[in-house]
Amino acid sequence: MNYALLVLAPPGSASRAALGFARAACARGHQLERVFFLDRGVENGMGTAVAPQGERDLPAQWAQLASEQGVELVLCISSAIRRGLLDATEAQRHEKVGPTVAPGFTIGGLGLLVETCTDCERLLTFGEGC
Amino acid sequence: MASDTPKASGQAEPPRLLLVTRSPPYGSSLARSALDTALAAAAFDMAPALLFLDHGVLQLLPQQEGAASETRSHGKVLDSLPLYDIDRIYVDAAALLHFGLQDMPLPAAAEVVDSTGIRALLEGCDHILSF
Amino acid sequence: MILHTLNASPGSTAFDHCLAQVAADDGLLLMGNAVYAALANAPALARLRATGARLHVLEDDARTAGVTPQMSEDVLAIDFDAFVALSEQHARQVAWF
Repeated sequence: MNYALLVLAPPGSASRAALGFARAACARGHQLERVFFLDRGVENGMGTAVAPQGERDLPAQWAQLASEQGVELVLCISSAIRRGLLDATEAQRHEKVGPTVAPGFTIGGLGLLVETCTDCERLLTFGEGC
Repeated sequence: MASDTPKASGQAEPPRLLLVTRSPPYGSSLARSALDTALAAAAFDMAPALLFLDHGVLQLLPQQEGAASETRSHGKVLDSLPLYDIDRIYVDAAALLHFGLQDMPLPAAAEVVDSTGIRALLEGCDHILSF
Repeated sequence: MILHTLNASPGSTAFDHCLAQVAADDGLLLMGNAVYAALANAPALARLRATGARLHVLEDDARTAGVTPQMSEDVLAIDFDAFVALSEQHARQVAWF
């Protein structure tokens, strides 16, 4: 089946679950074209974050999934830039230090989320509450 | 479907997307992300429906003044929804009661739904996004 | 049939709203801070049972939280492969968090 995932959760248990789900979906032979990161979810693509010792480096593990399975990892542009997540183009445009987006991630508009929704058979959201 | 052609009408009926928003309008950006997604979905002719549950009904308070804290008014974005043909808006009856807002004026397109109505919405759409 | 993924602690409004919408033929997956509802003596567990839905807990999260040794037998601990299988069986998911 065609799957699409929306990740709203910042690095933590829900985003680890999203990653685990994404890996398992690919392993079960499903198509996962794109994972869209929105709101605090974009923090999973922070290239300048340093994982504490003994914790997973989530951006690196997402990037590994992207390279091994061809999954596109898209950070919502408006969520990303307000949080300092900039690719080279955005860093230059806003005259900020950068790029700060982790390798394997790209920045894009919400249209990419909507487009994924139209194409998929299964759509799952991963969010983290208080 | 090509990403540079947002119009899908005339082809197959687009899947119906239900956006469930449970967050209050300020304090976090989640409620705003839900509305931004609704606007994007409308631009792609997805005819999204919005369901305001739980604290989400607080987004509907009229007369929000974003300028009072130099923030964008959530209410203004809500007011713009009809311009994008987002005309299916559902509001949790129990939540209105919980916050003492049962007499609050709601957007013209809004329909107040009880628990059974909420269930019907969740079952009747093709896809759900939860915010 | 809906798959409810519940990631909110028992007592939160997200937890209550989820339970209000779970039907007997739905699937329910406890994850994150919701795993505490799988404790055998948790009052929340009785409410989960009353829904009639099949109860699952994400094994990694339950073990991380220390819930596994005291977990109810009514809740099935599952890995990510089984989580994906659940999503195959349910056309729609609602995430409560």
